[in-house]
This record gives sequence, structure tokens and C-alpha cells, in this order.
Amino acid sequence: MRWIVAFFLIIATIVLARALLTFDPSRLPAEIKFASSDVFTLDPQRMSYMQDLRISRSLFDGLCSRDSQTGLPTPAVATSWETSPDAKTWTFHLRPDARWTNGDPVTSMDFRNAWRRLLLPDTAADYSELLFPVRGASEFFAWRTNALAQYAAGKNHDAQSAKALWDSTLAAFDQMVGIRTPDSHTLVIELQSPVPYWLDLCAFQTLAPINQASLDRFTRIDPISGFLKSDPGWTKPGVLITNGPMKLVDWKYKRSMRLEPNEMYVGPNMPLAKSVEVIPIEDANTAVLAYESGSIDWISDLTAEFRADLAESSRKWLDRHREEYELRMNAGASVDEALAALPAPDPAMGERRDVHVLSAFGTDFWSFNCRALLSNGQPNPFANASVRRAFALAVDKVRLTTSVTRLNESVATTIVPRGSIDGYVSPTGLPFDVVRAREEMASAGWIDRTGDGIVENAAGEPFPIVDMLYMTGNPRVKNIAIALAAMWRDALGVQCELRGKDGKFAKEDLRRGNFMIARGGWYGDYADPTTFLDLAKTGNGNNDRAFSNARFDALLEQAAAELDAEKRLKILSEAERLLVEEELPMLPLCQYVTLYMYDPAKMRGISRSPRLDQRLSRLHRVDEQSASPSP
Amino acid sequence: MMGFIIRRLLQLPLVLFVVVALTFFLVWLIPGNPMLQEGRQPPQEIVDAMNRQYQLDSPVTFFGGYVARVTGIGWVMGWNDAPFDLGPSMRNPDWTVNEIIGAGFPISATIGLGAIAIALIIGTIAGLVGGLKPGSWLDAGTQLIALIGISVPSFVTGSFLIVLFAAKFRIFPIAGWGTPVHAFLPMLTLSLPFAAYIARLLRFGLVEQMTTDHLRTARAKGLSRRQAAWRHALKNAFLPVLSFLGPATAVAMTGSFVVEKVFAVPGLGRHFVDAVLGKDITLVMGVVLVYAVLLIVLNLVVDVLYAWIDPRIDLANTGSR
Repeated sequence: MRWIVAFFLIIATIVLARALLTFDPSRLPAEIKFASSDVFTLDPQRMSYMQDLRISRSLFDGLCSRDSQTGLPTPAVATSWETSPDAKTWTFHLRPDARWTNGDPVTSMDFRNAWRRLLLPDTAADYSELLFPVRGASEFFAWRTNALAQYAAGKNHDAQSAKALWDSTLAAFDQMVGIRTPDSHTLVIELQSPVPYWLDLCAFQTLAPINQASLDRFTRIDPISGFLKSDPGWTKPGVLITNGPMKLVDWKYKRSMRLEPNEMYVGPNMPLAKSVEVIPIEDANTAVLAYESGSIDWISDLTAEFRADLAESSRKWLDRHREEYELRMNAGASVDEALAALPAPDPAMGERRDVHVLSAFGTDFWSFNCRALLSNGQPNPFANASVRRAFALAVDKVRLTTSVTRLNESVATTIVPRGSIDGYVSPTGLPFDVVRAREEMASAGWIDRTGDGIVENAAGEPFPIVDMLYMTGNPRVKNIAIALAAMWRDALGVQCELRGKDGKFAKEDLRRGNFMIARGGWYGDYADPTTFLDLAKTGNGNNDRAFSNARFDALLEQAAAELDAEKRLKILSEAERLLVEEELPMLPLCQYVTLYMYDPAKMRGISRSPRLDQRLSRLHRVDEQSASPSP
Repeated sequence: MMGFIIRRLLQLPLVLFVVVALTFFLVWLIPGNPMLQEGRQPPQEIVDAMNRQYQLDSPVTFFGGYVARVTGIGWVMGWNDAPFDLGPSMRNPDWTVNEIIGAGFPISATIGLGAIAIALIIGTIAGLVGGLKPGSWLDAGTQLIALIGISVPSFVTGSFLIVLFAAKFRIFPIAGWGTPVHAFLPMLTLSLPFAAYIARLLRFGLVEQMTTDHLRTARAKGLSRRQAAWRHALKNAFLPVLSFLGPATAVAMTGSFVVEKVFAVPGLGRHFVDAVLGKDITLVMGVVLVYAVLLIVLNLVVDVLYAWIDPRIDLANTGSR
């Protein structure tokens, strides 16, 4: 009997010992620690989350990078480039001294391999379409998709036939796609038609190069499906080969990730910090407490419910010193320098200087279901553009941003953030006008005929209860939904019903068209109106509204064929006018903002460009003494 | 005794199979596709390709392949490279389920074992205080505290402890994992409901035992109330606590989502909830498997300890208690 108990005791000891091994108190704390959402993947071609792209920006250097102040493309691995007179062929010259962390030179083949990978349906990259402007790229994607489907339907599923399929895929890529490597440091890209924002795309992180040899060890051709499969493992510290200013030294699942300078790195993005640690903190309140106690230096997305109050404290402090701040800004100081030089905030007065509200390259909107019928077969009142316009006109967006979100975001009447793209003139959009809203409703036949405050159609049927779908988990979204429902009830005489669903379930409802009005929103990927306008294109995968308008589609096509950049933007502006003044498939509310929490007197290197493409390599700690004003 | 243990261990694979099959059935019913993220929607071709690659197009192939891979049959047959492979995580392209459980389980186990240890100490003391003097103000006090301990949810106690000990007095770090001091507040938070439950079980066990005949005999032989309780009543009063401890330890060791979230601890509980919300089929099944093994083994341990404490229980004949 006793030996059995002893046996269990030994097992318990082993478990305990193994558990204690998860501690690592000896590790030195990093120079910069920041809270972020969990990193999803470090595979540069598969990324799409902002937090992943942020890490990638320090691990991988692409052809270009974006200037942190102006947001314009600047050289990275490519030192120079030229275009052909028809603007369809781009020739990039790569740095001869660029190296991977294993010492290999970074060559044009590394870019070609990475871009081929991005164009394989096997990779399941969210951003394959970014390369579709390249000659033959979308055809190659379709070719491979079809070839895989045929392979799956075929009889031979052995290693040889899978290998043969892969070999023919390589040959097809060489033949079809306009990506050429005349020598190891020259990359030639042929585009289908001129793309004004091509360089901006080259700075996008999913177009980063890849060290094929390091990936090949984890890649195999699956004989059953014919797919090129990569096993997880090649992105782990010690295995992942990168070419950026920093390298991955540690990654523990949902616990921490640590980057340190890459000593092999030569290029324009030399790192300033000795080490940067990413700590995923899911609970928004815990993140604030961790910041307050000094465990982290930066909260990269402040979502705590009381964040509007925190932002208010910072605004109060800045307002008190507004004059001195302007003075320093005019003298050429950066925002952080100017903030750090101001007199310290007075906590007794409820002031602070560490909450920063940054406007982002994204628009918060709600979607109207534009299908003729609802998913339950009932007629959809929102199929009528007059009704959509009425609902848009009835929203007091200023009240939303000042007293509902209380973050004073800039109110939006357009989908493309106003002023975000050089040379693009945004249309006016619809104002807040309740009288006009009621007229629009009446013109659609919805009038309060019985005097009960609810509008009815000619047959006397009341307006169906408006089904408002939103994603739970974000109090901001819910508060907006409640406010919208009240505004529509008061202005238009319609009843709304809020339906909060968890992200995955809500997405499924969106896909099936099971909603009347749903929460939307979009962040732009590249500096061109099409990154937003494509959302309304017929058949676009992100067109949750199922909006389809022949004139709008024709305008987009016309713009794609237009060679003159100025004329092209004019056409796009007309297309957007159609969306935001006439058709209203979505109702723009405001520009997105992101809240950062960091003390400018302690940490520097944050970019305030709306693209929010922070470079971790630029973050560094500053001495508080030297940052305070000289007496 | 040995026969009993072997019999129970032989039942293990069957129980596990049923658990995994049921879990699979339920997870499969969650709407949505684990490959799709919020935000951007990839083209349908990519979605189809991913479904085929992860065998999401057919539940039968998926489950068959899963069972073969996990049990090691696939390895014996030469289909897989390694046995006991729980597969790739569907929502974490850079991690396998084995890696995720390997990283999360030791952390949850540390917190869980620590919490049970703290709960045993606090619960036993509180239970003794009340049980020895039933009806006294001390008894009422400990019972009230125990009631509060059971009723107040962990996210309240956890947040309260963080604000008090980490933010105000700065004795403990706020969040994360890395040193033993990181573990203390989560352990304490997790232990409180268990401690309260143990205190109540022990208190009522003691009160009941003190009125039994053999205790009266012991008192008659001249033992003081306290001595009698210590030597004779405690052992029997502890039996309900013991049967509670088995499943409680399993629950505590597999991680509390709430505690792990509040303290930003990268434990198994958090990974599990994230997996369910993201329909990460392989990860959900992997964690459930670990939980089932743990529950079965710990219940077995409790049964064996039962027989050790109370010789009247004969495992060999009854099969189970």
C-alpha cells in the first residue's frame, strides 16, 4: 500500500519540477516591453494582423519600407529602381551587402521565391491579391487552383505524381508570371497595367523576401492533396532566418516574444533598442495596471473601457500647456519631444501625458444589407437606396463621437479617409439632416399613417423591426449600436433590435446575409482609394453587403485602365461619390483612432503616421532627466 | 489492489475514445471555419484549398486521421512521422497542439497544485476552527467567510488582489509569467473557492464525527475534546474532502480561464477558451484529452488513498467505492 502512495508522490514531484521549469528568473528584462495582441504567425506571406505585420517590419526588410513620418515609400533592400516609359516594367537594384541572419546574401531569387509562395493557393495567404497587378499573377493563381482541384479529382495520389504536379507548377510560374531575375541583385517586375501605388505595395510586409533553404527543410509535397505543405516550426527562434534589423531570440506561446538587434544587418533601418519584448496581455484592465506599475512601457492598443477618461486626462494637460507645445512644434520638435519638454502633469488635477489618440487609416462604418430578400425570404426594405440614404441622413455623427465614444474621432461622410491620399479629392457625402431623412423615407413609401410614431407602407404594414447585428466583446461597438437605434427610432419612426454575436458567429451571419444593418469597418492596406472602394465591387470577397451597381463597377474598371494618375483619381472620386451620396451600401461614421499609452519622456520612436506601421527597431528608452526642459 | 488499478487503467482508452468522439462531434457543430479570421475574407479558392489541406471537407476523414495520428496507429502503419501527435493547431499556423499543451499545461499545473496546497492549508484550519466549536462565533465567522469565498467570482477576487497587492503595495508583479512571485497571486485567487469548500466539508464532517459512538468512547477514556478530534475524528472527517480533492485538483491543474486571463498567465485554460471561440478543432480535442486523462488518473489516486485511510473500504471486491 505504502509503495503505491510513494509512487504517486514521486509522480507529483516530477510534475511539480517540470512545472517549476517554466520559470526563468535569470533572464534580463528587455529595454522596451510592450503589450500587444497575440502574435498569430511569423510567416511573412501568411500575415494579415496588424500585430504580426508590426513584428515582421523589424524581422524582414522588403524592397522598400515606408517613411515613419511621411508614410512614403523609401529604399530598403532595393537601393534604387527605375520604370519603363509605359510605367509597366519596374527594375529594382538590390543592396549587394544585404545578408540573411545565416550569412547568405539576400538575392533577387529570395524575392521571387517569396512572391511565388504568396501566389500559391497552398500558402493560403490572406494577401495573395496584392500581387495580382503583376502580369500573369492572377492567371497563375487560378491555374494552380485548378491544377490542384484536378489532382484531387484524379486517380494517382502518390509521391511521384505530386512531384510532377509541383514541377509543372514551377514551369508554369516561370512562363506565366512577370517576375524576372536577370542577375542575383536585379529584380524586374512586369505589371499588367500601370499601378500608381506599386511602390507602396512593395513596402507591404507580406511581400518580404524569404530564405528558401530554411523553409525547404519544413516543406514537403503532400501526395494526397498535391499541396505544398509547410510544417509549423520554421518560424521558431533559432530556426527562422530573417534579413531585417532585428532577429527573433525567443518566442513562447502567448507568453512573450523577444527581439534583439541583428548584427548581420546593413540597411536604412538600423535598430536603436538593445532588446524589445512583446507581452500579450488579453485583459484590457490588466494591461493598464501593468503599465502603471512599470512592467510594460507601451500599450499598443488601449481598449480598457475607461480609455476615454484617460484620453481626457491627457487632453486636459496638453490644453493647459497648448501655447508652449505649439511653440516647440513650430521650432521643429517632434510631437514626443515637445510633449516630453512640457511641465510634468499634475496627478492631483487628474492630468497625465501618456495617453495618445492617433488617427488611423481606417473607417468605422455600418453595412446595409443590399440583397433584395433577407435570409428568411422576407423582402428587404434596405434594398431601396432611398431607405439607406434616410438612415444615413438621420445619424448625428458628432453626437456619436463626442458623447457616445467620447474620443472625438473625426466624423466621416466618406469611406476613404478624407485627406489621406495625395491628390485625391473626397466627395462631400451626406450631412446630418433629419428633415431630408424623413423625405427620403416618405419617397420610399414609409410614412406614419396611423399616428403611432411608427412608419407604415402603402399597405399599412409597419416598417419591419430593424435587425442590427454587431460583434460582442467591444463595448464601443455596443454603445454605438444603442445610440444608432435611438436616433433612428426618434428621427424615422422605426423599431430596431440589437443582436450581439461573437465574432465568428457574426461573421457567419454576415456571409449568409442574415442581417439588415451590421457593424462594419475597414483599414486601408495601401495608399490608394481602391483599397477601400473595392469593398463595394460586385462579387468582392469582403462585400458583406452584397452591393452590386453596374455604374460603380464600370467606374472602377475605367479607373484601372486610365494611365493618367490625376484623371484616374477623378474617376475614383466620382465612384466614391456614387457610394456615399447616392447608393450608401455602407454608412460611414467616423475615422478610426488607435489609443497608445506610453510616456514620451521615457520611450521614443513611435510613428504618428495614420498607417500606424510602427518599427520596433526604432523604439528606444530615453533618459528622463535629459528629456525634461532645461531650467 | 493491483488488479483494481490495472482494471481502471484498462478502461482508460475506451473512456478517452468516447470523450474525444463526443468532443469532436460538438466542436464540429460550431459554425464557421477555423481557417477564417475576422476582418479580411480570402478568396473562396483559398478557403476550399485550406479545407482540403486540413481535411475540413469531411468529418469522417478528419476524425479517422486524427485517431490514427493520436493513438500512434498511423505511426505504426507508417502514415505519420511520430506517434501521439495531436496535430497542428488550426488557429495558430506556427504551433502544433503538442507544443501549445507542452507550454501551457506546466504553467496551469503549477498554479493548480499551488492553489490546492493553499486551499488545503486555509480550508483545514478554517474547518477545524469551526468544527471543534460548532455554534460559536468563531464557527459562524469562518462559515460566513467560506460562504463569501464560494460566492465571489474569481475575476472579482483576482482584480481586487491585483489592485491591492500589485498596484497599491507593489509586493507582487501585476501580470505575466517568469518568476515564482508571478505565480503567487494567481494561486491565491484560484485557491479561495476550493479553500471555502474544503472548510465547509471538513467542518460538517467533524461535527458529525464528534457525535459518533467511537468518539464518545474515546472521550470516556479520558481524551480531551481536542485530542479526540485530532486522533480519531479528523481522519474520517477528511474522507469527503479527499473525494472532493481528486476532481478539484484536475480542475485546478487544467487551468482556470478567468484567473489566467486576469493575470495574463499563458496557461492551458486560456488556450482552451481561445480554441473553442476560434473553433480550433485540434487544440480543443487535445486539451480535452489531457483533461480527461488527468481526471481519470486523479480519481484513481483518490480511490487508492481512500482505501489507505479507511481500511474498511475493499477495492479488490467492490470494483470501485
